Amino acid sequence: MTAVPEARPGRAARSSLRSGRAIRPALRRRELALLLIVAATLLVGHASLASTEAGHLTLGNLHLLAAYLGALLVVHVAFIVTGRRMDEILLPVVAMLGGVSLLVMERLPQDLVVQHFGGHAFGLADLQFGWLILSLGLLGALAILVRSDNWLRLYKYTWAAAGIALLLAVFVFGRDVNGAQLNLCVGPICGQPSELVKVILVVFMAGYLADNRELLARASTRVGPFRLPPLPYLVPMGAMLGIALGVVAFQHDLGSALLYFLVFLFLLYIATARLAYVVLGLLVFLAGSAVLYEVYPVVRLRVDIWLNPWADPQGAGYQTLRALYAFGSGGILGTGLGAGLPSAGGAPAIPVIESDFVFAAIGEELGLIGALAILACYLVIAERGMRIAATAQDEFRALLAAGLTLVVVVQAAIIVGGNVRLVPLTGITLPFVSYGGSSLVANAVVVGLLLALSDRGVEPPASPRPRGRAFRIVGERLP
Amino acid sequence: MSALDGLDAFALSLWLLRIAFLAGLYLFLLGVGRMLLRDLRVASATTPGELGRLVVVGSFEGGPPVGASFPLDAVTTVGRDVNNTIAVDDPFVSTDHAVLTFRGRGWYLEDLQSTNGTYLNGAPVIGVAPLGFGDEVQIGQLRVRLDRPRPVRAA
Repeated sequence: MTAVPEARPGRAARSSLRSGRAIRPALRRRELALLLIVAATLLVGHASLASTEAGHLTLGNLHLLAAYLGALLVVHVAFIVTGRRMDEILLPVVAMLGGVSLLVMERLPQDLVVQHFGGHAFGLADLQFGWLILSLGLLGALAILVRSDNWLRLYKYTWAAAGIALLLAVFVFGRDVNGAQLNLCVGPICGQPSELVKVILVVFMAGYLADNRELLARASTRVGPFRLPPLPYLVPMGAMLGIALGVVAFQHDLGSALLYFLVFLFLLYIATARLAYVVLGLLVFLAGSAVLYEVYPVVRLRVDIWLNPWADPQGAGYQTLRALYAFGSGGILGTGLGAGLPSAGGAPAIPVIESDFVFAAIGEELGLIGALAILACYLVIAERGMRIAATAQDEFRALLAAGLTLVVVVQAAIIVGGNVRLVPLTGITLPFVSYGGSSLVANAVVVGLLLALSDRGVEPPASPRPRGRAFRIVGERLP
Repeated sequence: MSALDGLDAFALSLWLLRIAFLAGLYLFLLGVGRMLLRDLRVASATTPGELGRLVVVGSFEGGPPVGASFPLDAVTTVGRDVNNTIAVDDPFVSTDHAVLTFRGRGWYLEDLQSTNGTYLNGAPVIGVAPLGFGDEVQIGQLRVRLDRPRPVRAA
């Protein structure tokens, strides 16, 4: 042997890694700097909103915003104290989106969503604030506590089964929201499991693709003169996707169905670099859409509204048209927070403005400039996520990071495209901005996992390789 | 002040607040953008110290221990001859057995007409075969896996 093999970390060294090495707090200057800008911007935004509503210059009621900024600081300090070397840009970007969400929810009529807990009535902003705090806590906890990905990697079929079970539970016990069967209630707390299922689906697909990437990328089935991808190896993933798509489509949750399918297609392409999959997938998508258009009234209605919302301006096309008018009245600089959104009969003109159409509210009050800034935030998330994927240590981590990033970015693209009538509207939330606990919690899980994956301070535990272990017994070990 | 007399002071300050909020959004994006650019520059400037590594997964009597790893050069030759980058003292390995080359973005494996052949994931290598991270290569009795390079610590 001329090349001297590098010493493997000894057993002692590895076990000390596992039990957690000494915690060395490290400052996160970039994160702090960005968070300060976020805080200043949100305070100015709040002053602008409060002054517009009060009719004189005022800072308004800062309770919620101050508490939100305090929570951000707590997460930041927790990251410093635990000494994690994670990405420093994701948290401020998510904080900015969440803060804008809080401002918009404070601005909208509070009676859009009211829930009663112990005799107290909580309005839109209070509820969104509660969910934001919960999400931040979850995000921070995941980022700090997740040190190994084995619990995701090893149990991919268990996760897949859990996801399907969750969807089926909605199917059986679910409640209707705006004509779609979405909600699952446990006691007083209701949630939309389709949001969490998207994360589970990504975990499963990353695990399956990491194991079978080689086969899917190289092998092929021959059908006559055509060389098709190795279809048999796609069956487990196709089955999982088929069940998920079937269930959510049956519940009229078209947005989730579209999101699952697109993420599946992108992830397959990332794993194999074969354009054939994308072409095949798009063909299947077109054929499926054509069939759905014929047999499924909801799909036909959505496409018809998209093509011509003016056909029924007071009925089916009302929501889309109102959103277009909102973007138009916002113009380039916007009307300013609190100055837009003419109401129709006491309620805001756009139905579901707090959730699916929150981007229309932003487009009107912050204008093209503000809306573009929000879109840029999603671009930043995409860049960070893909960088984390590119520097990941193995296939599973790379695919997981890419998939998690895609889930957020594709979801934002679907709903923003729907809001501005670029694509047919399919109801889904705008990540971190729309009102809604399930959406916030699910996306917090996504970003928390991304942050944990980005940590470079700790080497990940070796992935279990049963085959390698068998050889280890045969092989000779140096002291 | 005379120019401002016609203007409502409140409307003006409200307008300034609105613009300040939008400006804040872009100040934030500017800060993020600068950090992203710096990050990308650092990433592109620091060439990784290694392009990949071979990890031994199956060895033979007197061979390298399982788990040992070799950082790879852009051209890495394997054989029994001591002038190879990785010299393997195994009777089943030819004098100049195989060569691993890094071309552009990926690794390639070529068998140098060895007596016993080179195997990629169990299949014999004919000509030049593309080699992905995680692939297993068998040379003689030695089985190695191509792993990603260790990430470079950011400065």
